[in-house]
Amino acid sequence: MQKLRKLVWISLLLMVVLVFTGCGQQGETSKQDEETIKIGTVGPLSGDTATYGVSTKNGVEIAIEEINNSGGINGKKITLIPQDSKGDQAEAANATQKLISQDNVSAIIGAVLSSETLAAAPIANDAGIPMISSSATAPGVPDVGPFIFRNCIADQVQAAQLAEYAVKELNLDKFAVLYTKNDYGEALKDTFVETLKSLDKEPLVVESYVDGDNDFSAQITKIAAQKPQAIYVGGYYTEAAKIAQQAKQKGLEVIFLGGDGFYSPKLLELGGDAVEGVIFTAGFYDKDPDENVQKFVAAYKAKFNEDPDMFAAQAYDAAMILIEAIKKAGTTDPAAIQAELAKTKDFPGITGKTSFTENGDAVKDILILKVENGAFKRIR
Amino acid sequence: MFFQQLINGITLGSTYALIALGYTMVYGVLKLINFAHGEIYMFGAFVGMIMVTTFRLSIIPAFIISMLLSSLLGMGIEMIAYRPLRKSTRITALISAIGVSIFLQNLGILIMGPATRPFPRSIRSYYVNLGAIKIDILQIIILIVSIILMVALHLLVKNTKVGKAMRATALDKDAAYLMGINVNRIITITFAIGSALGAAAGVLIGLYFNSVSPLMGSMPGLKGFVAAVLGGIGNIPGAMLGGVILGVIETLGAAYISSAYRDAIAFAVLIIILLVKPSGIMGVNVREKV
Repeated sequence: MQKLRKLVWISLLLMVVLVFTGCGQQGETSKQDEETIKIGTVGPLSGDTATYGVSTKNGVEIAIEEINNSGGINGKKITLIPQDSKGDQAEAANATQKLISQDNVSAIIGAVLSSETLAAAPIANDAGIPMISSSATAPGVPDVGPFIFRNCIADQVQAAQLAEYAVKELNLDKFAVLYTKNDYGEALKDTFVETLKSLDKEPLVVESYVDGDNDFSAQITKIAAQKPQAIYVGGYYTEAAKIAQQAKQKGLEVIFLGGDGFYSPKLLELGGDAVEGVIFTAGFYDKDPDENVQKFVAAYKAKFNEDPDMFAAQAYDAAMILIEAIKKAGTTDPAAIQAELAKTKDFPGITGKTSFTENGDAVKDILILKVENGAFKRIR
Repeated sequence: MFFQQLINGITLGSTYALIALGYTMVYGVLKLINFAHGEIYMFGAFVGMIMVTTFRLSIIPAFIISMLLSSLLGMGIEMIAYRPLRKSTRITALISAIGVSIFLQNLGILIMGPATRPFPRSIRSYYVNLGAIKIDILQIIILIVSIILMVALHLLVKNTKVGKAMRATALDKDAAYLMGINVNRIITITFAIGSALGAAAGVLIGLYFNSVSPLMGSMPGLKGFVAAVLGGIGNIPGAMLGGVILGVIETLGAAYISSAYRDAIAFAVLIIILLVKPSGIMGVNVREKV
């Protein structure tokens, strides 16, 4: 018994030693290699929002691989330094600080969640390092400063367009709103409700939930009592799938509407036939016949063995926009890169043509997708 | 609508009760809050899901295999993380439990990936109609299974030899040892049963919400713990009652006060009950011996 215990402790100790030496080696190689351009990513790689961060990192990885395989930027290879924010504001700020002061990155793609981006962006901006978020859709992100850009459709724009579409094209009249209590959900809800009001409609009931919740029966029962025709869910696909399923279990038959947080193959996988007929706004459609889109989808599938989602696609485009700017600047000087980024106009990416406004916000096409026969279909 | 919300609350509460049973079981014998219980629940759900999807088993064998494997995991955790600390202070074992919990969560992310996966509904959809109210058959199954497990556990502890040995161990480990009880064996059995209960909860709740993920155990684990404390930790019928009460309070709070504050309401009630009756609803107030 005593021997066995010793053995367990020694093996544990060995594991710890191995883990630490592993880190040491990584640090050394990146120091030796001064001839590369370093790009960092910040986003949740663990925790309950990890899927968004992992997709973002994967999308950037595909872009970097593509450029490195064709000779890099002006002969220099790019190295990616991914950082885990755990979806937490303080961790995101620390990770950004580390990328800038320890890793000396030229630019950062991130952060992923709106809340963590609002914490991380001021650090990058103050240090004069360009930062492009490919998914922080809440208001205020590009307003942080001249070094902060974003490549996604703003919450205000997508919620407003969907509200108009629902009223004018789908002729819907009675709405309920159910949103997640974070920057993303609040922005979607506020804009959706305001747009309805501007069209002389009023939501019958507005309810909220917290990401990671499993049980929505209280909210659904309350919404069902008002007999709406449609529910606008301001949130992400995991919860959206559960909401749709529990509504179905409770016999509530409505049209579900949503934002770009719905766009993931996981929505179909988790929601099954309960998400049939769901309509939502998105910035990317993987069945787009465009050659670049299909090339990206194939490369992503080959490397990660799954379909890319919108987070991956927008991150890929953000990385490509950044690489284009570094190429044009001809240097890794952050200020020169920032100047080139600001000039981005009609960049032909896989999420449509992208231009940056004066304060660094993206102007992009908005698609409306619908779930039909267990697959996404573009309806506008 | 009130009646429907009450049903919603009882259903949610019975999921908490299922988790709380495992907590209370281990606490009752060891006076250890096994914070890794939420992760055993997660492990159980994953095993059940893999049995149903990869091995194409029907739900009942999947349920049994999941319980068996989870008891093994529970016994392993006890042997590695708690047994070497049994002579140290209670806080040391508690910290070790939190460590195991974080370790298992991240191991889950490493092996299974962070994403939520569906748990295919391998029970035919069936609804019981009570006037305007629809009750999912799974909700009834969860409630019935919790009650069966609670009664079985109660009988085991009160009426069998093993149960008697458990109670003796709970009362005084050293004296039990002197009386010829194999204390290590009893503690191992306690962990095995507690973990099997966690797995049962994982499979049923994973099935009901159609989702399993490596982090699924953290919040329900906490709520299960609260339910156990609410009912009087260490008390088996108390865990059941605590779970149902917590679920009903949470649901009614969400329905009639604000859905944004459902957790805040639930935990506020916990604080109030603990202020009024620190030993929980069904707990007996025992003075600590010095």
